[in-house]
Amino acid sequence: MAEIICGARPAREINAEIRRAIAAGDREIIVQDPGARHNLGVAILEPVRIRFVGSVGYYCAGLIDGPRVEIDQSAGWGLAESMMSGEVIVRGSAGNGAAAAIRGGTVVIHGDAAARLGVSMKGGTVLVAGRCGYMAGFMGQKGRLVVCGDAGDAFADSMYETVCYVGGRIEGLGTDAVIERPSADEAAWLDSTLAQYLPGARRRGEDFQKVLAGRKLWNFDKREWKVWQEAL
Amino acid sequence: MCGIVGFFVKDGDGQAETGRTILDMLRALGCRGPDSAGVALFGAPNDGRFVVRVKLGDGGDLKSRAWQVSAQLESFGGTSHFSTIGAYARFLADGQTDLRRLTEFVESLDRDFEVVSIGHCLEIVKQTGSPENLENTYCISQLKGTHGLGHTRLSTESRVDLSHSQPFWSHGFPDLAIVHNGHITNYHQLRRRYEQRGVRFYTENDSEVVAIYLAQQLCAGSSLQEALERMLRDLDGSYSCLVATERQLGFVKDPFALKPLVMTETADFVAVATEEIAIRAALPGVYSVREAQVREVRVWQR
Repeated sequence: MAEIICGARPAREINAEIRRAIAAGDREIIVQDPGARHNLGVAILEPVRIRFVGSVGYYCAGLIDGPRVEIDQSAGWGLAESMMSGEVIVRGSAGNGAAAAIRGGTVVIHGDAAARLGVSMKGGTVLVAGRCGYMAGFMGQKGRLVVCGDAGDAFADSMYETVCYVGGRIEGLGTDAVIERPSADEAAWLDSTLAQYLPGARRRGEDFQKVLAGRKLWNFDKREWKVWQEAL
Repeated sequence: MCGIVGFFVKDGDGQAETGRTILDMLRALGCRGPDSAGVALFGAPNDGRFVVRVKLGDGGDLKSRAWQVSAQLESFGGTSHFSTIGAYARFLADGQTDLRRLTEFVESLDRDFEVVSIGHCLEIVKQTGSPENLENTYCISQLKGTHGLGHTRLSTESRVDLSHSQPFWSHGFPDLAIVHNGHITNYHQLRRRYEQRGVRFYTENDSEVVAIYLAQQLCAGSSLQEALERMLRDLDGSYSCLVATERQLGFVKDPFALKPLVMTETADFVAVATEEIAIRAALPGVYSVREAQVREVRVWQR
């Protein structure tokens, strides 16, 4: 195990030390006092465990492929952006654009997520114990987005094949978003996934609303003017 | 891109090291705006008198200008405790002073003069350059107070000088200061409307209209909470704004959540900033921080 003390050092030095520890064979790295610095733990491609003892700033754990990254407090904008695989666990809240454009892996937020959660995600799973802000799921192409609390306005706007589940109230649906009941299989998946990652959420899978694309926006023929008009 | 910060002590006698806290927060956000830095600090009231801060100019012979203000104020009457520091003259004015008349009087003495703040508790200090420059000239870290605002500016659309720096005071309305990060896209429309009503604009900075808008709302009897909620309806664009009055600190986040703003509240204080790094740098301890939600308005009162 390696322990890194951030002190007054810039993010570049801290990231270099994380990489040196991985290259030396350490599989567990603890980063003390990150002080909400930006760009920590980016582009890590090894199946290591990195724990940030404190808050992190923008773009933490972006572009990762394989590690488990834990953040004891909150995370700034762009958490885990474009991650390929692995796990990112935030014990506090996350800022705008968490899990944007992820291709795979799991992002877990124990607090609230701000605006634009999981926009343009192309795979993976996002789990939020609290609520999410404005325009979550916008243009989501694949993957699953689960919000145990309330969802903000313009939820699931202009999505493709991302599937969302909301345990609380939805302030407003985005363009082309429709609500369904989750199937028995989906409810079971929610139960087991929440039991694994957010046991404190105390939500039953069957109580969630499922939100997905109505496919009127992206599955239209330009000659079908009326369908296009209604979708908007 | 700018950096804004706010700090509010819930209790106490106004002797908290608010200047030190605001400065440390600003230093952490210095990279968000190297063009200018400024603070609005709310200290203990001066026995009902107003504190007046006057910008003497952006350069030149500031000493002789200060002497000019001091001499002319004697004829105006009701002022005392005149002093100068850096680019500013500072003096006290009796509680019964007609603030509009005083402002017009001072600003008529020289076209470079501008009354930067008036309040029972409020003092605004700003200048071009980094927070470090501000500290070197004005010793911000030594100032005590109950609450305050800070700003580091990256100029995008208007001039870089003292007047265009933030915080902004709404001329004529004592103890009201704002800092703003973003763009008010209907600024020209609002400005034209206000100018038709005789309101004077001192800068080309769109943030100035926020101070004017809020002052007009408060003058019309709105609470700060109501004024900030109306702002979401009347001001277009992407913005995070912090506002402070004699006893309040508030914020508003725009309808599209395009500008960052994070906050924390403990039993002792409230801290709000563009980035969490500012809060962590200035305020050690265990507390949680979260991003403000879209259209969120909060006001704290002493």
